[in-house]
Amino acid sequence: MAVIDHDAELAKAGANVHGWIGALLFFVRRYPLGAIGAVIMALFVATALFADQITTFDPFTTNARVSLARPGGEHVLGADFMGRDVFARIVYGARISLAVGVGATALGCIIGVTIGLMSGFFGGWFDLLVQRLMDIMQSLPLLVMALVMAASLGPSLSNTIIAIAIPLVPNVARIIRSNTLSLREMPFVEAARAIGMSETRIAVVHVLPNTLAPLIVLATAQLGSAILVESALAFLGLGVPEPHPSWGRMLSESAAEYVRTAPWLVIFPGVAISAVVFGTNLFGDALRDLLDPRQRI
Amino acid sequence: MGAYIVRRLLLMLVTLIGMSILIFVMLRLVPGNITDIIFDSAGFVNPAQKKKIERQLGLDQPIAVQYVNWIGGLMRGDLGYAYVSEKPAIEEIVPRIPVTAKLAALALIFSTLFGVPLGVLSAVRQNTWLDYVLRVFSLSGLSLPAFWLGLLILMACVHWFGWIPIYRSTPESPWQELALLCIPAAAVGFRSSALVMRLTRSSMLEVLRQDYIRTARAKGASETAVNYDHALRNAVLPVVTIIGIEAAFLIGGLIVTETVFNIPGVARFLVEAIRWRDYPIVQNLVMFIAIIVVFVNFAIDMMYAVLDPRIKYEE
Amino acid sequence: MRSKLAFAVALSIAAPGLVATPVLAQKQGGTLRVYHRDNLPSGSIHEEATISTVQPFMGVFNNLVLFDQQKPLNTPETIMPDLADSWAWDATKTKLTFKLHPGVKWHDGKPFTAKDVQCTWNKLTGKDPDDFRKNPRAIWWQNLKEVTVDGDLEATFVLNRPQPSFLSMFASGYTPVYPCHVSTKDMRTNPIGTGPFKFVELKRGDSVKFVRNPDYWKKGKPYLDGIDWKVIENRSTRVLAFVAGEFDMTFGTDITIPLLKDINAQAPQAVCELAPSYVSINLIINPKAAPFNDPTIRKAMALALDRKTFIDILSNGKDDISGVMLPPPEGVWGMPPEMLAALPGYSTDIEKSRAEARKIMEGLGYSESKVLKVKVATRNISVYRDPAVILIDQLKKVYIDGELEVVDTSIWHAKVTRGDYSVGLNLTGVSVDDPDVNLYENYSCNSERNLTQYCNKDVDALIDKQSQETDFDKRKKIVWEIERKLAEDLARPIINYQRLATCWQPQVKGFVLHRNSIYNNWRYEDVWLDK
Repeated sequence: MAVIDHDAELAKAGANVHGWIGALLFFVRRYPLGAIGAVIMALFVATALFADQITTFDPFTTNARVSLARPGGEHVLGADFMGRDVFARIVYGARISLAVGVGATALGCIIGVTIGLMSGFFGGWFDLLVQRLMDIMQSLPLLVMALVMAASLGPSLSNTIIAIAIPLVPNVARIIRSNTLSLREMPFVEAARAIGMSETRIAVVHVLPNTLAPLIVLATAQLGSAILVESALAFLGLGVPEPHPSWGRMLSESAAEYVRTAPWLVIFPGVAISAVVFGTNLFGDALRDLLDPRQRI
Repeated sequence: MGAYIVRRLLLMLVTLIGMSILIFVMLRLVPGNITDIIFDSAGFVNPAQKKKIERQLGLDQPIAVQYVNWIGGLMRGDLGYAYVSEKPAIEEIVPRIPVTAKLAALALIFSTLFGVPLGVLSAVRQNTWLDYVLRVFSLSGLSLPAFWLGLLILMACVHWFGWIPIYRSTPESPWQELALLCIPAAAVGFRSSALVMRLTRSSMLEVLRQDYIRTARAKGASETAVNYDHALRNAVLPVVTIIGIEAAFLIGGLIVTETVFNIPGVARFLVEAIRWRDYPIVQNLVMFIAIIVVFVNFAIDMMYAVLDPRIKYEE
Repeated sequence: MRSKLAFAVALSIAAPGLVATPVLAQKQGGTLRVYHRDNLPSGSIHEEATISTVQPFMGVFNNLVLFDQQKPLNTPETIMPDLADSWAWDATKTKLTFKLHPGVKWHDGKPFTAKDVQCTWNKLTGKDPDDFRKNPRAIWWQNLKEVTVDGDLEATFVLNRPQPSFLSMFASGYTPVYPCHVSTKDMRTNPIGTGPFKFVELKRGDSVKFVRNPDYWKKGKPYLDGIDWKVIENRSTRVLAFVAGEFDMTFGTDITIPLLKDINAQAPQAVCELAPSYVSINLIINPKAAPFNDPTIRKAMALALDRKTFIDILSNGKDDISGVMLPPPEGVWGMPPEMLAALPGYSTDIEKSRAEARKIMEGLGYSESKVLKVKVATRNISVYRDPAVILIDQLKKVYIDGELEVVDTSIWHAKVTRGDYSVGLNLTGVSVDDPDVNLYENYSCNSERNLTQYCNKDVDALIDKQSQETDFDKRKKIVWEIERKLAEDLARPIINYQRLATCWQPQVKGFVLHRNSIYNNWRYEDVWLDK
């Protein structure tokens, strides 16, 4: 794969690349769906950051009087069985989902990049060993792997992040490795070597930045799936535990008990999850078209 | 080619052995073991009786010995005894496979039937409103939590038809079974059809940009012939790949769907066995899944070698 | 509407027999379809302490005696003959002799004799080499010296000391008679009994099937051809299935108050009865973990409890605030409400109690700015977690900042038994409404199911004293004295007793729900389908 010159790519696509506003306008015009996705993601991040300002309700305070209150009135989206405000829990839940989505993706990417880079650059027995390890991890479907990990680590926010991050590693490592392998043979790397640059420095300074485009595309796609995996884990009784307002658990718990008596408990968190994942997918698609048109999924 | 196959088979063996060690160790990291579960339903723990059960099940032996015992048994085709039901593990696993296999097959048929034509359509009509609608539709398939979709379907069925499409242990006829499996299969298939559709679209687009398509067009071949004869045929390989990979990985989606629709298959059984710390069931089931995944991957690679003359396997 | 009636019945329950079915000609045939809420651990009732096993498997067996299946309250007066045609105490009140019904056969054709009775209790008291893998109710039989047999049809239980309510324990669904000739392992996987239904198969996580025992020794019974249990773990799914008519009956006590409203609206024909489950929600505090070894902190925590709020949230106010014994009107032994309110920590003036609690905490150096941080452990299931969240919310009012620690359900008991917790929230079920059962099981020093390992010799002495008392009113006074001591010691503060509903379709006849135990009315031999 060739090194991607972003400016050149943009220019080729007919963009006015002078300044970031121009780039932004180009993106919106060229990828309207992607722009919608970006707006959804921005809203999601803003909700997570400014949760305290958005709602005055505390997501943990129980209130007997409003148990299973209908949406409307004081509680805009109603209240759950324990009388906790659903809107507040969804708003604060954005933090949990952001933590799980970004946390798991970032952790998975950091480990994956490190392994992939080292594996591609140093080769030899290290590469062989790592590749076998990746083979092993990829011989189970992601959810099955996450399930076993989550069960063995026990329920907590950080353990859930780890349980989702680990199964993401092989994908990242594989892509980084194959990019690294082709980059290693590039003339500019040869040149760096010729002037006596250390291998580690070459890896970090020259190779790593050039793997960023596929990495970003992959990471965006993984963000959505990390959030979905958390909700599936929550549904299966693992995942982020109470009292954290995790969307996945809010949804699955109420789905198990109140799907008919209080359908809003099932609909709102479900909409929140779907919207955010949909947004990341839309944005990720556009990003892929822009940065890495050859990558398929 | 022959050497390549041998090498691949050896690597597969290494992978499977690695998987067996990984799952064996990870299971034993899960807090609590079967004796805790056995005592849980009695509402107390008696340490002496607990030790006795651990001894009977061989859980007091060093972990390496336990591993060798398991693998030794596996070689002889003996999967051991399930902890909870105290029956041979094989008797617990095998009867649950057919229903999962049927469900997976239906889901695959569903995803292919919808994914491929819609993907082609989306590519041919690239950047039209149809393309946008189809892409948004497929993306929504990837964005809905599977159990949520399943529950919405269940709610709708009971609300409108007063009937609930959950699985009964003995459907009266194959048709009834098919009818019951169709809905969960569609719920799972929705997600994989979205994947198939996206991939079909992007491979079609890639092929449509190739020189030989331009040549075909230049030679005056009709647009339909170009799209469906030349292009689709060449785009089919990656599509078959993704369908193959989906087939192996479907079990992830099936776990949730089998739970929602109460289907007594292997996927749900795996979750239950993990919850019950039923090591013999989990270990053997995980190995079963891993073997399927590894072999499907192998089959896909072999198919590539046969179908795509550009790929050469030389060392 | 019908369930409103059920509420009214539940609240104003007066005479047993109020909801007894009118005499109708029972119809033979049909298979009863019931859903099950979870995986059954095993089919061996003696080895389990959960309704998950008792409910489906009780029909496989017979007891020596049994609480009347047609009367809603379990009392010593409703104990009926089962395998024992009659029973009698000797003059010393330490020998209980059962005369057994002749001609009874096990499902495998072997004859039932007094030897089987002896065997069962030898296993329960650890005298049989093929003993139970676990024996959760060993404490029930601690007073049993030996069982002797006289011929095939007479068995005598010899006690160490008189125990008037000994017979009640025989009448529980937890006390079936097992065959001598079947190993305890086979009883778990393929149980053999003398009861109205034969076990067919248990498909784990899927279904349990029973068929009519054609040679049942009670002539003409049972009426059903069989009972099919289908396991559905997701509560929404199974309630939807019941509403859609897939099942004749819900799992016992599976219907919570919000779900009850839903069923009333969606399936108005269904009969739903709300009754106490005799399962308490209780607070467990580890007296060995600092700073909770200080009784004043434990007292402050008890004062912070607002039981009314708990029951308002958890059950729309339907649950019962209670002490250790199930409160009246269903409970035979519970304190009247005004006496209960006088117990330490039960005052209805919550603000005053909490002010007192804060004073205690301030005395120990805690304040708004310096809170006591503590982990509140509970099982990772919603019936445990929901009250734990409320508990944490209430403890905040007395400078205690609780953090919920959800424990995987598989290791919950192991963790509590190890004492690896400081504060926890627990659920405890009682199977027979009798002080001997409840108090010995949960509060006596040597009971394995005394989770907090609470041990007070004075209380033990009082428990023994009430156990030997034959006069009902005198015994009740002693029980109340024990209640007061347990409340003062904060042994295991009971927050409330739950009320849950069981529903069945109108075609199910001859079933009577017990109102002071959920473990004793699942023999199904009188149940029939009016189709």
